[in-house]
Amino acid sequence: MENIATQFKSLANSFSKESLALRKEALASFQKLGIPTTRHEEWKYTNIKARLRQEFSLLPAESRVNKAVKNYIASLPPYTYRLTFLNGVFHPELSIIPDLKGVTVCSLREAAAHTGGIVEKHFGRLVDYSQEHFAALNTAFVTDGAFIHIHKNVAVNEPIYLQYFFTATDEYAFVQTRNLVVLEEGASLSLAEDFRNASNIDVQYNHVAEMYVGNNARLDVVELQLEVSNAIGIHTLESKVNRNGRLSAATITFSSPNTGTGQSLIRNNLTARLTGEGAHAEFAGLYFGKENALIDNHVLIDHIAPNCTSNQLYKGVLSDEATGVFNGKIFVKPGAQKTNAYQSSKALLLSKGASVNSKPQLEIFADDVKCSHGAAIGQLDENALFYLMTRGVSRHEATQILTYAFAHEVVEHIQTKPIRQFLCDKLRDELHLNF
Amino acid sequence: MQSMLSINHLTVAVNGKEILRDFSLTINPGEVHAIMGPNGTGKSTLAATLAGREEYEVVSGEILYKGRNLLEMEADERAREGIFLAFQYPVEIPGVSTTNFMKAAVNAKRKHQGLEPLDAREFLKLMNEKAQLVDIKREFLSRSINEGFSGGEKKRNEIFQMAMLEPSLCILDETDSGLDIDALRIVANGVNRLRSPERSFLVITHYQRLLNYIIPDYVHVLFDGRIAKSGGKELALKLEAEGYDWVKEELVAD
Repeated sequence: MENIATQFKSLANSFSKESLALRKEALASFQKLGIPTTRHEEWKYTNIKARLRQEFSLLPAESRVNKAVKNYIASLPPYTYRLTFLNGVFHPELSIIPDLKGVTVCSLREAAAHTGGIVEKHFGRLVDYSQEHFAALNTAFVTDGAFIHIHKNVAVNEPIYLQYFFTATDEYAFVQTRNLVVLEEGASLSLAEDFRNASNIDVQYNHVAEMYVGNNARLDVVELQLEVSNAIGIHTLESKVNRNGRLSAATITFSSPNTGTGQSLIRNNLTARLTGEGAHAEFAGLYFGKENALIDNHVLIDHIAPNCTSNQLYKGVLSDEATGVFNGKIFVKPGAQKTNAYQSSKALLLSKGASVNSKPQLEIFADDVKCSHGAAIGQLDENALFYLMTRGVSRHEATQILTYAFAHEVVEHIQTKPIRQFLCDKLRDELHLNF
Repeated sequence: MQSMLSINHLTVAVNGKEILRDFSLTINPGEVHAIMGPNGTGKSTLAATLAGREEYEVVSGEILYKGRNLLEMEADERAREGIFLAFQYPVEIPGVSTTNFMKAAVNAKRKHQGLEPLDAREFLKLMNEKAQLVDIKREFLSRSINEGFSGGEKKRNEIFQMAMLEPSLCILDETDSGLDIDALRIVANGVNRLRSPERSFLVITHYQRLLNYIIPDYVHVLFDGRIAKSGGKELALKLEAEGYDWVKEELVAD
């Protein structure tokens, strides 16, 4: 880990003074923790060590706009607001920043310099970098990211789109990206985080988002991980939901046919801590794994305050040699009475080589709660396949139609209409359906 | 004239148990045949075998459809060639609308016939036309296939799909089961409006009731896996009045 220390030193000048102490702590923590192995309970089914290129470089990679980036931006629906990052570096010329009263949207670097203590107060305060390997690494090294602050009772009516492109040409680059989102009391926002490999090598990135949902505030987040092929991506979302606040987060992961080394891996660590009475968290996930992709969703809903509700809905479609991992935790802390928590995880295995490891984990320390979970792993219903085929649809197309039906439920869950519509179309494209 | 369907000495087993035994039947274009019989005599086995369900193993015999060996075709190919099965228990498929399903099915058939797929406008026109036939509302078709539908709605949806696909051979498996008299009339009207000299029907039913509305040319009584008696529409009335026991007795007397 000597190399890590050297890299940190060479970057230290670019970090804000205020954050330096925190970063040093995070660095020390990462040096202790290292890259997790499968002996680690939380990484038991996800051998990150085997896929991640160990001698990674954390120095910001060059961030030239390439053709793939231009083409992708041109193909997007006309989202009103967007912030664009290339290899973690903010590109204002590719961004459309909302100019609204009570709304601060800028790069994290800018925010640290101009918004007084708010970044300092929130940055690195939700993630547990003493325990989380990749949150520690990110907290120590991240140089930029997005900052969103919505003031009291302000509603942003159009979604804000945070785009992260990876255009690295150095396959040892390990790009660190970061978002900090703070919603004050009664604020509301819809947000999409979009990750895209725009290079022709296998990229590696480590994303951390911290999101604060104030009293009565409402935050809808969609994580778009639509091109998992050629990527090793680690996503951490740490959120805190206060009294009567509401957070919904949907993670959509597609792996396209692989053209790289076939080591693609996506790991999502998603946590919601319900700290105020009446808070609600809704986590949904849809993942499509092909070839030998590995897609891992680790979800934790931590019921701390009483009278909170939560819901998890995860669905996976795995073919070829792809692997899925689902670990859904519900913690109910002492005092979190009248908790109502539900979790559902389903996976479709479309080939003999595909597999999924699904593990629900309920830890309940209060006595007046309602918690339940359901898990199902299986193949498509033969009865339904036959029904479709008796109308002339081939077995292949019938399979696609039923897969669409299976997956569609998660997309329907997405609150933000243009993003839901975009994903419906994407789903149809992915399954080659013409309806 | 070439027959629509010619079943010759067909024996079919399910899980090693023979259900249809040495069964023969010929249906010509434009004819409506009714198959009646007590439960468990092989009526639904016949329907499923014709539609191409894989669990039904053809032990011996042949089925010719328009002169071609039907047993060489998969279920989907049979459908594209013009065979339609209206299910006794239509399957519920949450997440796919009947409209989208029919778009896929109609265009699969058109592709098979070497035709271009219908565009959105043409498809809509076809759908509206056929929806009228069974008195189905548009909203109903944009709902998930059969999800939460009543028995009557499911059967109407079956006949709607049949109308959309314009098959040559329509097999109705206990379409009357679970229908009240109004639904039965609507479904039967839909079927009657689809009757034509080029289209044949095989109507499988336990009760004579449906045959008051869909008048068959021939009625066959299925017993123990084969046809025990055949006749005209009056045979159905006799069965309604006297039950199936006399057929059984005749069979024993033979």
